[in-house]
Formats: sequence, C-alpha cells, structure tokens
Amino acid sequence: MPAFVVMFGVLGMFAVAYVVYAKYLAQKVYVLDPDFEVPAVAMEDGVDYVPTNKHVLFGHHFTSIAGAAPIVGPAIAVFWGWGPALAWVTLGTIFAAGVHDMGSLVVSVRSKATNIGTLTQWVINPRSRTLFLLIVFFLVTLVNAVFAIVIAGLFIDYPGAVIPILFEIPLAVALGYYIRRSGTGALVPSIIGVILLYLMIPVGAAYPIDIEPLAQAVGMGAETLWIILLFIYGFIVSRIAVWILLQPRDYINSHQLFIALGVIALGLLIGMDTLQGPFLNTDIEEGAPHWFPFLFVTIACGAISGFHSLVASGTTSKQLATEPDARYVGYMGALGEGSLALGAILAVTAGVAAVGLDWGELYVDFETADDNAVGYFVEGVAGFASHLLVPISIGTIFAAVVVVSFAATTMDTGIRLQRYIIQEIGGIAGIGWMKRGINISTALAVAAPLALALAPGDLAFGRLWALFGTTNQLTAGLALAVIAVWVMKRNRNPLAQVAPLAFLLVMTSYALLQNMLDFIEGRDVVLGSLNAIIAVLAAWLIVEATLALRAARRGDLEPVSQETIEEELEAQDLRR
Amino acid sequence: MNVSGDDPASGPRSGTRPGRPRHRIVLVREWDAGTTGSGCCGRVGGSHHDLGSAEDFSRSRRVMHEVGEVYRRLRSDLGGSVPIEIVDPRNTAWIVPVVYRDARRRGMRRLDALREVNRATAQPAVIVDGRAIYSGSLGPPDEVVDAVHRELEIRVPDPG
Repeated sequence: MPAFVVMFGVLGMFAVAYVVYAKYLAQKVYVLDPDFEVPAVAMEDGVDYVPTNKHVLFGHHFTSIAGAAPIVGPAIAVFWGWGPALAWVTLGTIFAAGVHDMGSLVVSVRSKATNIGTLTQWVINPRSRTLFLLIVFFLVTLVNAVFAIVIAGLFIDYPGAVIPILFEIPLAVALGYYIRRSGTGALVPSIIGVILLYLMIPVGAAYPIDIEPLAQAVGMGAETLWIILLFIYGFIVSRIAVWILLQPRDYINSHQLFIALGVIALGLLIGMDTLQGPFLNTDIEEGAPHWFPFLFVTIACGAISGFHSLVASGTTSKQLATEPDARYVGYMGALGEGSLALGAILAVTAGVAAVGLDWGELYVDFETADDNAVGYFVEGVAGFASHLLVPISIGTIFAAVVVVSFAATTMDTGIRLQRYIIQEIGGIAGIGWMKRGINISTALAVAAPLALALAPGDLAFGRLWALFGTTNQLTAGLALAVIAVWVMKRNRNPLAQVAPLAFLLVMTSYALLQNMLDFIEGRDVVLGSLNAIIAVLAAWLIVEATLALRAARRGDLEPVSQETIEEELEAQDLRR
Repeated sequence: MNVSGDDPASGPRSGTRPGRPRHRIVLVREWDAGTTGSGCCGRVGGSHHDLGSAEDFSRSRRVMHEVGEVYRRLRSDLGGSVPIEIVDPRNTAWIVPVVYRDARRRGMRRLDALREVNRATAQPAVIVDGRAIYSGSLGPPDEVVDAVHRELEIRVPDPG
C-alpha cells in the first residue's frame, strides 16, 4: 500500500475526530463554557497566568510534549505488523490521548490551574498523591534507563553521529552565551547553530568514533561503556543551571523537530514509497510476546502518554485564554503526538524499503526487532531524506542526531526530575541527608537507572521498554481516573474516560501478569522484582479508581473548596 | 538598552482588513518550563508545579517578571483594545509569519521585515505592529510602556 495513502488516511481520521469527537467532548462531556473565567484571566499577572492566543499556546504545548518516545514504541511494535500498530496509534490517539490531554487541561483550568499530582490528592484521596509520586518515580527511572540504552545503541550503530552530538554541547552553550551577551535575536544564530551542527555530520561520517577498543581495554563492552559515560554526563548536566545547556540547546531542538517532520512528510510524498511487511505478522517465533496485550504497553507515547497530563495541568492551563480553546490546544496536541508516531511507523515500513532493506530480515524475530528498532527508524528517515537528494550515509547520521538530541534532553530532565522526587521522598520519610544532599540525591537518581540499564542477564530491551510503557499508561490511568471522577460529579456521562481507563488497566495488568510468568520462568530477578512493584502500583490504582468512581456515583465525594485550592497554591509558594 | 532608532515613517498601519486587529503587541520571553523534547517523559516543571523547581528557571523568571510588569501596565492602559501576546522566542512557527506580516503591512521592505523578525526572537523583546522597539533587553517599565504608546500613537491616560 502506498505510504502517502496511509498518511492521509490517518490524518483524515484525526481531522474527523477533531471535528466530531472533540466537539462532542467539548459540548457534552467537558461542557466548555466561553464565559467561564479561566485562571489566566482571573489571576492574570503577565508572568505565569497569561491569556494566550490559542495558536501561540499550541506551539508551546506541542513542543513540550513532543519527544523521542513516540518514535521508539511504534518502531518496536511494527514487529506485530503495521496494522495493529497503526490501529492502536490512531484509535488510541482519538479515544484515549485526546480525551486524556484535553481532560487534564479542563480539570486543571476548573481548579485554578492546579497540577495533576495535587488534583489526584483532592479529587480521589490523599493516598493517591503517594501513588502518583511512586508511579512517576518508576516511570522516570525506566525512562532514563531505556533512553541511555537507545543512545548507546545509536552511537555504536552510527558512530558518525558521535562527533555532531559532542559538538552540539559546546555549540548550545556558546549559542546561549552569545544570545544573552549580545542581546541579539535568537532566530538567525539558532539557524546558524543548526547549520553548523549539520555541517558536522560529514565530519562525523569521515571520523566515526568507535569506543570498542577503549571498552575492551577497560574490560567491558562498548554499550556498557557508553551507558556509563552517558550517566556521568547526566550526573553533571542535571547539576548545572538549565540556562547553561538545556535551554540554549532547546533553540536548536525546536528547529530540529520541524526539520525532521518536514523531511519525513516531504520525502514520503516525493518518494511515493509503499509499506513493506505484513498487515498482521503471523510468523512469530515461539516465546515472542503476543501483540495482545503487549502492543498496548509497547506504544505508550504516540497512543496515550500520562506525562502529557503534567504538561497540560502544570503550565498550559495557566495560559488558556478561554475554556473552549482546550479543544484546540489539548486535543490537537494529542493528534500532533499521534502524527509523530505515524511518522515512525511509516519510516520503519516504507522508509526502510527506500534504502534497500528487507522488512522480513529486520523484523525476523522479536529480539532482533527490539534491539534495533530505533536504528530502523534512523534508516527509514534516511530513506525519506534520500528522496530529497540527501545521501543515505548523511541521512542516517542526521536522523541519529535528531533522535539522540531529543533522547538526551529527556535524560537531562529525567535525572533532574528524579533528583527532586528523591528529595521529596526524603522529606516525606524524614531523611535529612536525602532531602538536602544534592550530590547524594543526584547520585541516587543516576544509580537506579544505571543499574537497570546494566542489569546482568539476558535483558531484552523490548521488555524494559514495555515496563516503561506500562508505568506511563498507569500515569495516564491515574489522570483519567481523576477526570472521570470530575465528570461524574457533574452528572455527565463518563464513558469517554472510563472506557480508555478500563482498557488501559486491563491491558497493563494483563501485560504485567504475562511478564511476571516469563520473568519467573527465566529467573530474571531484576526485571521480575521491578515488574512485581509495578504490578502492586497497578493494583493500587485499580482499587483507588474503583473506590473513587463508586463514591462519585453515590455522590459521596466532596467538591474541592476554593479555600483548599488557595491554601495549596500558597503552600507551593512557601515550598519554593 | 537596545531601542530601535529608526523612524516609523509609515506610522501605525492603516487599511487593515475588517475583522483584523488594527494593532498587535507581542512581548517575547522564555516560558520557564518550556523545553522541547522533554515533556513526553521527563518534564521539569516551573512555578506551582509538582515536579520541578522554580529555582531552576530563576534566570528566565527574572525576565518573566520584568515583562510581566510591562504586560500589566499595558493591559491596564489599553484594556482589550489592542491584543497583547506573550510568546516564547523558540515559538518561531508563530513569531516568524506574524511579525513578518505585520512588518510588511506597515510598509517595511522585505529585508527590513526579516531583520525585525530576527530582532523579535530576542529574550526579551517588545514588538509593536511588526517593529521590534526593544530587543535583547528592556528599559524601566515606564519607559517601555511610553515607547509602546508612542508607537501606537495612543495617548497615555492621565493618572487618576
């Protein structure tokens, strides 16, 4: 099937969903009121609370939720055939992600722009706040582990990407310094920065960095050495101020996001590539995970991502100019993320054919697929880029640089975030050195994912990725439970939230059970233990969600008072 | 301070299409927690956020407060008569076409309009109808507000 037909087909379904389903959500479920005084207006201060043009806000929101995760999951999941992956991305985006992202925004707006973690405490019960922190703790641990493995794998498979990525660090620092010191506009310097970065691609291709000899000299594999180096980098970067590297690099990344999307779309349209591989892969080896239920935890971001609720409720809700804009910003943002996942699926089915790769060999078995899926995406994007007259050898490094840039940003922020969570847990547990010791909390934030990434045994990346997907789905489940309770309290039909919530809980539980049996059989202590902890969190979430929904149906739950909201905002100010 | 010194010979633009705002003010500064590529799974929040620390973004927040003061003053003076947008300089997908279009509408040449577009992506910047009257730094709020009013040719209401 021609890839452009699939692309326009899915984008057409997204458009219909926006016109029909998002309208239904806006009018009947969330009942968006143009006369409601949103926090951006009620608390307008020009600093945090600013009524913002919806197109401007969409740009802020979308660039904040976009990342590398919607690439990895779909690239692995195509192992089961492009049909199931495409169906889950499309239906998940329309019926789960859109509902979740838009709902998180609306509930937050109706609660004075309160963030989702605090809302779980208010809307469900105080225990849920602890559950939220624990789920996010494991989610971030897994994120940092899997992205370290992803980056290490790309550096080994595409050693030409090492020099451009290393160059990007001083480039971003210098760019930030220059913009600050000169007071000049960022557009031209940042475009020059991107050009300089891409000029390093041929240099990287000419001088690929292979650390295998060094790794052998110190008695370890290249992947292990890269992972250790990446976490040393993460330790340092998460300790330095964000304006030194993280924010300036973002000027480069924001251009890279649109360049990569443009290359995929244009290359696909010009090349007229066709999809390779089966609609449903029935030739699956014994022992490989079945698409049901693993498809639904392998593709988390791109179908539904719980982390979007943090973006929607934390920042976006303070800038929404009118309540009906939640449809455009929240639902459309989810569609944008789904479009990234669509691009990933097309790259590993149509793009790889453009570089002469045989889909059947790439996805010959699950282990091969999950070990190399991100590399297939890189090859696929290079295939699309080749239609734009970019040599394949350059195109692969370009795509690897884009993926590593995003994955590294996620690691930087993830380790920093983990440090805060550890400090907060230290505070709750009354452990002073854990709360105040930045070096110790950062070391702990690095040690946990590092140990996981280097765990001994036959640690299939796909299994680790599925555990990450599971925790991300649990975060989404918690947010959906909050939204469902909020909807029920207003005597509206909560089916739009309860259906994806139930689906996610069943699929994650089923996947956790299947995983547990496999880990016990394989005597995998590390993943087995982690799986057991996440299973406990899932069971806890099911209990809390059921209790809260039953209480909401009986009308037992008290609405959150404005005084409570004011007190919480004040307390947050004091904590700063 | 980097106040644009060129003479706005064309004055406030006129002849805009019905339904379009006659003027547009754009205030540019970084949002504290906006980081491309982090949101999906590793977002660090800013102020009033469970996951993160406003201290991380202290440098951005200082500029946010400076711009916020200007914003409040302009909102107070102008009410809703002139749309005022606060935009992150990385949001080039919005800034570039809007500032370029506004600059061209007031009669700037293409090259000048492009120059204004680049100046409009500084942190911070104040753009009135496509002209970046401040780029890279702001003066005292009174001065900035007066400059905006001069650009708009709107009389500042007398106090009281």
